[in-house]
Amino acid sequence: MFSPSLWRSTWAILRKDLRAELRGRVAINTLLLFAITTVVLVSFRLGPLGISRDQRAVTSIAVLLWIAIFFAAMSGLSRSFVAEEEAGTAPLLRLAASPAAVFAGKLLYNLLLVAVLEALVVLLFAALMNLRVGNPGLFAASLAAGGVGLGVATTIIAALVARASVRGALFTVLAFPLLLPLLVVAVGATELALAGAGWSKAWPELRLLAAYVLALLAASLLLFEQVWEG
Amino acid sequence: MSTRYNQFGDMLKLLLGVWLGTVMLAMFLWVPPHEGLGNLGRIIIVHVPTAWVTVLAFLISAIYSGLYLRRRRPEHDDRALAAAEAGLLFSILATVTGSVFAKAVWGSFWNWDPRETSIFVLLLIYAAYLALRSAIEDDERRRRLAAVYSLLAFITVPFLIFVIPRIAESTLHPNCALLATSNCEGVTLGLEGSGAPKVSLLGERKVELLDIQERDGVAIARVEVTEPGATSRAILEPSINQRTGQPVEMPEIGGTRFRLKLERLEGERASLNIEQPGSSGLLRNSRTLLTFLASLAGFTGLFYWIYRVRAAVLGIQGRLAEEGVL
Amino acid sequence: MNTEAVCLEIACLGKRYGSRWVFDNLSATIQQGETLVIAGPNGAGKSTLLRLLAGLEQPSAGTISYRVGKRRISPSQARQILGLVALDIRLYRELTALEHLRLFADLRGLSDDAAISGALLERVGLAERANDRVASYSSGMALRLKYALMLLHRPAILLLDEPTAMLDVGGRAMVAGLVEEQRERGIAIIATNDPRELALGDYLLNLGVTGETS
Repeated sequence: MFSPSLWRSTWAILRKDLRAELRGRVAINTLLLFAITTVVLVSFRLGPLGISRDQRAVTSIAVLLWIAIFFAAMSGLSRSFVAEEEAGTAPLLRLAASPAAVFAGKLLYNLLLVAVLEALVVLLFAALMNLRVGNPGLFAASLAAGGVGLGVATTIIAALVARASVRGALFTVLAFPLLLPLLVVAVGATELALAGAGWSKAWPELRLLAAYVLALLAASLLLFEQVWEG
Repeated sequence: MSTRYNQFGDMLKLLLGVWLGTVMLAMFLWVPPHEGLGNLGRIIIVHVPTAWVTVLAFLISAIYSGLYLRRRRPEHDDRALAAAEAGLLFSILATVTGSVFAKAVWGSFWNWDPRETSIFVLLLIYAAYLALRSAIEDDERRRRLAAVYSLLAFITVPFLIFVIPRIAESTLHPNCALLATSNCEGVTLGLEGSGAPKVSLLGERKVELLDIQERDGVAIARVEVTEPGATSRAILEPSINQRTGQPVEMPEIGGTRFRLKLERLEGERASLNIEQPGSSGLLRNSRTLLTFLASLAGFTGLFYWIYRVRAAVLGIQGRLAEEGVL
Repeated sequence: MNTEAVCLEIACLGKRYGSRWVFDNLSATIQQGETLVIAGPNGAGKSTLLRLLAGLEQPSAGTISYRVGKRRISPSQARQILGLVALDIRLYRELTALEHLRLFADLRGLSDDAAISGALLERVGLAERANDRVASYSSGMALRLKYALMLLHRPAILLLDEPTAMLDVGGRAMVAGLVEEQRERGIAIIATNDPRELALGDYLLNLGVTGETS
């Protein structure tokens, strides 16, 4: 399955999407502006002089952090597939590339966007919300695991939504129920990391996140062709 | 042949109607009030079967979605859709009955109890599934994409069932007053000089041991309970029979069906905990159990009937559309 | 690409959107070296038929089968020997012509030699605009680039939808040359209403508005 030609096609699609994105900057601008708006809005009342000064506010901080990431992701991560259908370029890709390469390329692209988004949100929280991380390694792990799940789920759902004729808010409506378990666990893990809990305490959360990602990834790989073709 | 089949079907329908009617009557007239919950306990007879049917519908929908993707036969998709539509109906019923129960027993309409959460997510999934279907015009594509979504949901939902109870235990503050499934260990309070603290937190409530009295072998602890945010406070007197170790009085905590229980008394130290209603054998009574099982069968039958009729209608609609009539 | 003879068979093909049948009961066989022209009024389903043949949509009834030599191949395998040039398939506005050629060489596992790309762009008359983004192209130029992409993998089955609708005299000559060349390589199917192109085919499939074929 992971033949050299698959890698080559995957990289080609990722490179094409990144190049188009760097020249148009539609998705990245939406993502970043959405993230900035959310964090700034939150920070007005809860920010440097508000609740975030309280050492015990870790739950609120963890929830707000993931809200900012989730909603920004909902605003921008459907672009990869929706843009292909809207611009009428999808048939070109469908005729030339294998479905596996398309999925892998778009997945890598979405994962990159999530990474950029998470980095920005964390920076903003550090600047505006007194972010203090008790266990930085665990914090990074929870963001990474949650981010990978978010990337996988948004990729397959974007592929679904792109094939619908009326898109509107469909992306969020479809994504939310699937992402709910992921978000609940990711918030839990982030909360533990902020409070400075040890790795052993967060181990069940991380394991669940990993299992969720693997299950969704396997299902997506099996089902993607049904979404993409025809 | 077909008329005889129809007659048989009509008989079954009639039987189902009578059956469910009897269950409803029995629920109010025959089933005794629950010892802890009183008349509220009756709701279990409707609530639990609707929740069960919601899950059953989800399962059927996912199975037929998978079959559709494999065989591409429209009738499989009709069944998946019919099950999802019935599932949406029953998930709303389950959510409403559950939330009425929760308000009366736990003091709020919604508590994010694990079961509430999973039914709610199923409701969201059914709604999303139907939204997706209405957004696609091409028949074949609509069926295919809806089936894919149904399977994706089927993969991720089980995580909720495993995820949330674990999360409830591992949050930073245990709140046994909010989550019926979390196993709170309770607190031990003591009078001055006993070595145990006089004031502590039980869940989110502040509890303070005022004194301990004894009357005829029954020990009574006077406890001041302060609601979160100090909105109200009350002095409660849970008691315990010292010979048998059985609690005697378990007073209700402000506006909820939770009770304060005196679990142990050792000298001047009292161990307090919160007793949850419902955990003490809702179905222990044989009349309740029988009505409950009859209701379960009745609602499953009702679901099956709705599901079959709807799937048949969808099949006819599909054929008419193919022939260009619709 | 291959020297084996290709054959394409359409049997009782029908396509329906909602309750409306675009066409129904369409049958045809096209063999190696032949060119088929599909004609018919607007809305008769010419483009739809090409999309079905390319595997971009699924038929509502009937079958399409491809044969290479003695083997029957599946629609997904057929894509490697298929080339579709159509106005409603768009290019990436943000990419240049050379980037397009490189992308499709990568996707199809072909060598992305700069000399080959240069020669292809020369052939379709885009050599001077090789490094300009497609956003700055006229529709005729974009169509020329689609021909270059098609030539990259030299498909045995060539599908052309309104092949010269946006092209100038030189472009039309180029397309006529390509169709003639295709007789060596495999088969060509052209959907058009342009009287000048009707002459390119060996057979004519006329799609009526109501779906009957003649």
